[in-house]
Amino acid sequence: MTKPARHLQRLPRLLALAWLLAVLLVAGHNAWLWLGQRASPDTDILALLPGASSKDAVRQQAFSHMVDSAQQKLVVLVGDRDWKRAQAGAQAYLTVLHAHADLVAPINDDSAQWQSQWLGSLDRSRSLLLGDAQRAQLATTTAQQWNQRALGGLYGAFGGPRLGAWQDDPFGLFGDWVQERARETPVRPRDGMLFVERDGVSYALLLLELKAPAFSMQAQEQVVPLLAQARRAARTQAGEVVSGGVVLHAAAASAQASSESATIGAGSLLGILLLMWLTFRSLKPILYIALSIAVGCLGALSVSMLVFGKIHLLTLVFGASLIGIAQDYGIYFLCARLAAPATQDSATLLRRLLPGLALMLLAALIGYLGMALTPFPGLQQMAVFSALGLVFAWLTVACWFPQLIGPQTLCATPRAQGFGQSIARWPDLLGGFAWHLVLPAAVALIGLAIAGVARLHSSDDIRALQKSPPELLQDQMRISQLLELAAPVQFYLVRGASAEAVLQQEEALREKLQALVQRKLITGVQAVSNWAPSQQRQQDNLALLRRALLEPQGESPDAVTLTAQAIGESPQWAQALRQRMLDKTQPITPEEFLATPAGAASRHLWLGQVDGQFASIVALRGLTDYRQLGQLAAVAEGMPGVQWVDKVGEISSVLRQYRIYMGWALLCAYAAIFALLALRYRRRAWRALAPPLLASLLTLGLFGWLGQPLQLFHVLAGLLVLGLGVDYGIFLLESSRDQRPHAWLTVALSAASALLSFGLLALSHSPPLHAFGLTMLCGMLLVWLLAPLFTHPGPAAHATPDAQPDKESA
Amino acid sequence: MNTRSLLCSLALLALLPTARAAAPVQQIQATLAKPAVMCGRFDQTKQLTGIKKPLQAYGRFCVLKGRGILWQTLQPFPSTLRITRDAIVQIQDGRVAMKLDAQQEPVVKMINSVLFSLLAGDLSQLDQLFELDGSLRDGHWQVALKARQPALAKAIGDISLAGASYVDKVSMKEASGDRTDISFSAIKTGEGAMTAEEGALFD
Repeated sequence: MTKPARHLQRLPRLLALAWLLAVLLVAGHNAWLWLGQRASPDTDILALLPGASSKDAVRQQAFSHMVDSAQQKLVVLVGDRDWKRAQAGAQAYLTVLHAHADLVAPINDDSAQWQSQWLGSLDRSRSLLLGDAQRAQLATTTAQQWNQRALGGLYGAFGGPRLGAWQDDPFGLFGDWVQERARETPVRPRDGMLFVERDGVSYALLLLELKAPAFSMQAQEQVVPLLAQARRAARTQAGEVVSGGVVLHAAAASAQASSESATIGAGSLLGILLLMWLTFRSLKPILYIALSIAVGCLGALSVSMLVFGKIHLLTLVFGASLIGIAQDYGIYFLCARLAAPATQDSATLLRRLLPGLALMLLAALIGYLGMALTPFPGLQQMAVFSALGLVFAWLTVACWFPQLIGPQTLCATPRAQGFGQSIARWPDLLGGFAWHLVLPAAVALIGLAIAGVARLHSSDDIRALQKSPPELLQDQMRISQLLELAAPVQFYLVRGASAEAVLQQEEALREKLQALVQRKLITGVQAVSNWAPSQQRQQDNLALLRRALLEPQGESPDAVTLTAQAIGESPQWAQALRQRMLDKTQPITPEEFLATPAGAASRHLWLGQVDGQFASIVALRGLTDYRQLGQLAAVAEGMPGVQWVDKVGEISSVLRQYRIYMGWALLCAYAAIFALLALRYRRRAWRALAPPLLASLLTLGLFGWLGQPLQLFHVLAGLLVLGLGVDYGIFLLESSRDQRPHAWLTVALSAASALLSFGLLALSHSPPLHAFGLTMLCGMLLVWLLAPLFTHPGPAAHATPDAQPDKESA
Repeated sequence: MNTRSLLCSLALLALLPTARAAAPVQQIQATLAKPAVMCGRFDQTKQLTGIKKPLQAYGRFCVLKGRGILWQTLQPFPSTLRITRDAIVQIQDGRVAMKLDAQQEPVVKMINSVLFSLLAGDLSQLDQLFELDGSLRDGHWQVALKARQPALAKAIGDISLAGASYVDKVSMKEASGDRTDISFSAIKTGEGAMTAEEGALFD
């Protein structure tokens, strides 16, 4: 034996050993990750989406500000027609939580103390704080009328307790302002609790804070049962418990996803094992295939964690479909081993199969490359995860299978042999017979498909992507209705060179929004300038106050003097009263306001200084009619520094962008794979591509006729139909006439198990996975049926394994 | 009447938890008549810190069971306050000077119920908010109300009620030293108690 030949013989063994080392490393890393580090998958659906226009740091921060402030909160309303029962229910709820303060704790339990604190913190600025209504009154009401109002306060029967002494607010302006601010929420303190009432039902409001991240599965597993227990306790006292919070939706989504990934993964694996058993009636090939898949999964998990730092649950669900492709390589080798003569050793067999195997891997990787190139973090992760899984599974087949599977290891069952032979009965559409029948039928079918495609409409609404259980959505709606919450995903972003400029612009914006409040499109506006007006506005307010109340207008005395006269007090007394009001004019800045207890509820609205400029959020309350969003967007037009932000619309438009983008990527992938195949198959290359292309077209046509709206996820599935479908073309084109039954067996095993795994995805309750699965189901079934039609070897086909595959046979 | 401060104080009133009563509330409760309509005259004296002369006012009041309260100041200047289940309205110089809707301001209903309890002497209701300390002799009673929660005590001070079949006197003393005394007289009940004009204000 010559030296290079001996070297060539030792190489497979060396490769197998090297791969063993790599696999051990990967397995060790996995054990450390999941058992040692107790890593758990991420479940936040937003993490999968791109940061829309992520170049704009202020915008990004504005959104995360709004979302983060909502994310860790839980809102619970315990209601009953009898307020005492509602209170008792709320107490029962809190009692259950009390023992688990490390998981969930009430945000504010002393509302009485909180109220007096927040009033106190604004006291020294009270003469500068005027609402819109009071400004209008000051501009129009006479000194005589203000005097009447002051006397009304003095003589009022129950005028004793008020916001401070009568002298501090003789004209009731601060009281009015506080009332106006209080109207920003329907929630009121009552009996040491927060209270809201609707339709005769009194609710005790509990604001809870989640101590662990809302999207950690571990936290969800602990918190959700605890909340359910608290809810049951509350229901023994009160009639109704409504709860809402991101964690509940996240928990429902992850419970669904993890149960689905378990069913889909297990179902897919079981289906494949069953198929293998029916084909080989032996455990060995099952173990080999399972081994390649297991190495694929471990490798994908390990490297993905290294690349991304964390892994999303939906990636794992999507990764379950990886099994469908990863097995192809093993199946291909096993079926080829069956077909090969016993005289050929497995290393030689592998060398013969390598070009086909490499083409299969490359074609699939090209498909995933298209996904990885999108700016969707979620798609990138899924694509990288799947591509890694395929590479690991492929290397396992290439390095280990020739060592494990010798010429005598396998034999096919008679049923499998019989099935393989069935390809002979498949008509040769391109073989020249019955053209007068085939052509019109093909034209009609394709015409019908194209007509269907023409009927397709698209839907990119992000809201269609997440489906929470109906009872959660109902609770969520009830809560927004009861509390008139501000929408966290639609708001105005206001920017300026200074905090003062931002506040002034907010004030101008609020003025314009008044028209929409009057038309009842929104019930109100939340803005920091509602509480801490611009310095300009504060000075205006003081000037207005002086002119209307403290200074004589021409002949007639000022309101304070009139009041002093009415109750027989001296001019000195009047002067002291004036001074008292003028003493409470300490200017307030947004930063100071936000640091007070009163500012706590507005902190998420103030972004402060970002990237050298100042920014804030003006949020809308009571927004219910989403068809009117255009009117809200129009308000921002022509206002410099004011920008309308609609995250829902934004993400939807991003989804649309990527649907179109991925459509082009799909066409490019067809072209790239065609070029790749043409290198090996020359003029026969199109035969490998025709089945997935036609199958995709027919599937889309079918969706068009069924009225299914086209989504990004249909297009993504189209990529996989291509990636998998082209494999079948390669199997069949690679094989000679003798090997054809075994190639057909390979196609059948691969397609059947791919259908099993993707078919189960179509059963998923997650809309994107469902769309993906359904496309794969129709597409792969059609590819399977079409592949033999286009790859018929024809009468002139070569019968030996060494045949030149690049000869056009028809 | 300063409805704004009334509102604020009563919003604070509503903060309190419930507890048991110490006074002979049930006996006092039993001596009180509970007419469907009750009208009469009120005389009010207020002494405020920083103001020399006591401020005196009088007028008419009506309490309609289940419907609301009418509080008409006649002297030193006319002003009408109407408190119903759904709104608090102040009328001055024949025009609405102030209106608070229950829909807009959720505590309006609570204010209505607390004020009603106060004027009608419904001690069992007040018992939820205040510690009651009272005595009863020869059909005459008096009750001192002390807020159960420190925040409320600080805001409204002490209230005392006295009466026989009806509440005769209400006194309110604040920590600041402000003091309000209201006495009720010429109380009539039944059909003829309320004038037609007063009735019209309720419709």
